[in-house]
Amino acid sequence: MSYNLWFGNFNGDVEPSNNLKRSFKSAKNNSPIPFNISELGMKVLGGDYYNLLRKTAIEVAEERVEKELKSDDKYVIALVKALEELEEAINTLKEKKEDLEVVRETEVIGEFIEGISSLEKLKSKVEKEIEAVMERIAPNLVEIASPKIGAKLIERFGSLENLAKAPASKIQIIGAERSLYKALARLRKGKEAKMPKHGIIFMHGFVRNLPKSKRGKMARFLAAKISIASKIDFFRGELEEGLYESLKNRYEELRRT
Amino acid sequence: MRNVKFFGSIPATRSKFGSHYGEKIFELEGELYREWTPWRSKLSAMLMKNYKVEFLGNEKILYLGAASGTTVSHLADIVDEGFIYAVEYSAKPFKKLLELAKNRQNIIPIFGDASKPWEYSGIVEKVDLLYQDISQRNQVEILKMNSDFFLKKKGRILMMVKAKSVDSTLESSEVFSKVLEELYKKFFILSTDTLEPYHKDHIFVYGVKD
Ligand SMILES: C[S@@+](CC[C@H](N)C(=O)[O-])C[C@H]1O[C@@H](n2cnc3c(N)ncnc32)[C@H](O)[C@@H]1O
Repeated sequence: MSYNLWFGNFNGDVEPSNNLKRSFKSAKNNSPIPFNISELGMKVLGGDYYNLLRKTAIEVAEERVEKELKSDDKYVIALVKALEELEEAINTLKEKKEDLEVVRETEVIGEFIEGISSLEKLKSKVEKEIEAVMERIAPNLVEIASPKIGAKLIERFGSLENLAKAPASKIQIIGAERSLYKALARLRKGKEAKMPKHGIIFMHGFVRNLPKSKRGKMARFLAAKISIASKIDFFRGELEEGLYESLKNRYEELRRT
Repeated sequence: MRNVKFFGSIPATRSKFGSHYGEKIFELEGELYREWTPWRSKLSAMLMKNYKVEFLGNEKILYLGAASGTTVSHLADIVDEGFIYAVEYSAKPFKKLLELAKNRQNIIPIFGDASKPWEYSGIVEKVDLLYQDISQRNQVEILKMNSDFFLKKKGRILMMVKAKSVDSTLESSEVFSKVLEELYKKFFILSTDTLEPYHKDHIFVYGVKD
């Protein structure tokens, strides 16, 4: 058996690494190592074992963290865009398939069904990836808004930073731009118009499950909480217990009254 | 607990290092102590509830879900002759953990995913204690995998569980008994309880690998 250790390869004997950072990064093994690597390591590196380990760990981690911090938002945004395209493609293909079905019984339909189902598999993979990334970069936003809504908000604002710095009123209606412009246009012409009360955040269960008359209130509260959540995520990135509870309480309250 | 003293009703750890997250520093007989409030750390909450976790000071610990190092910093005071392998996968808190690891000598930071122990299998040695605080649906499975990879025979586990993270559709008590049922198969449970009033909807499980 051969094992990849951070200070070299073990193959009955240790072949010491001449580049600790590189061997540290590739110190992966499919199954547990049947001996204690620090004992072996101390035979090779002597008393310097932990010093070197710590130094290497810090150097490697520093590089990785910086790299990830730079690309995390962009990754989420690209995933959201891909997801939206996939959803659209699936819908279009389903329509076309139905069109075909009306006209003729043909083998082509089977191929359509296969194609659609493979796109749906891809879609659920992308959704899972969005969830995983969002949990790491914006745990509070995930808790308050859900991974999907949170990711869409980041996409619309262009970055977590922009979202964190946006006023809650903007968060409340983003995604409803079209109805906002329409309403403003009507107002300009001196006509009556209803201002939109919610955009993307309308997808949130707490807004949608309330009667129409209460959705505006809930949307405003939710937007304020999202604003706080995204600030914590942007500046600190650690989950704050209790944020969700106040949101849920507000929802229960609106539902009862 | 080793290197822990109570100041009034609040524990603090004896430390050669300054404040890491804004915690107060006390002085007693020429030595400095860092305040360790139960609201910020689940391990401190256990102490407040009179549960004992003993340390000799030279333990090797694998800590999953280190975040920015709040609890890790106190553990590092406690096992001042041991080492802590601290795993965290979220970049922002990890940056703060890195600062801690640079100041101390006994923290080895690993920017990695605790659900993939094979990825750091050639880095982490066999440990005496496996500490887990990750709020994940499959956190029992993650604990078991890491135990298989790294925990010594008779090594201890200390696991923090948040009911809502494991299953948000069940009552907390149901979630907790399911988790325990799973753990019984592999570990002998020394103690378990809620972390109320300090951490709502959480329990700790302290056990030994059979
Ligand atoms: C409740 S916090 C931990 C607080 C910390 N233990 C303390 O007391 O100072 C949970 C942490 O686990 C991290 N986490 C969750 N799943 C993880 C995984 N699979 N791998 C690594 N870290 C994970 C989260 O990013 C978060 O920082």
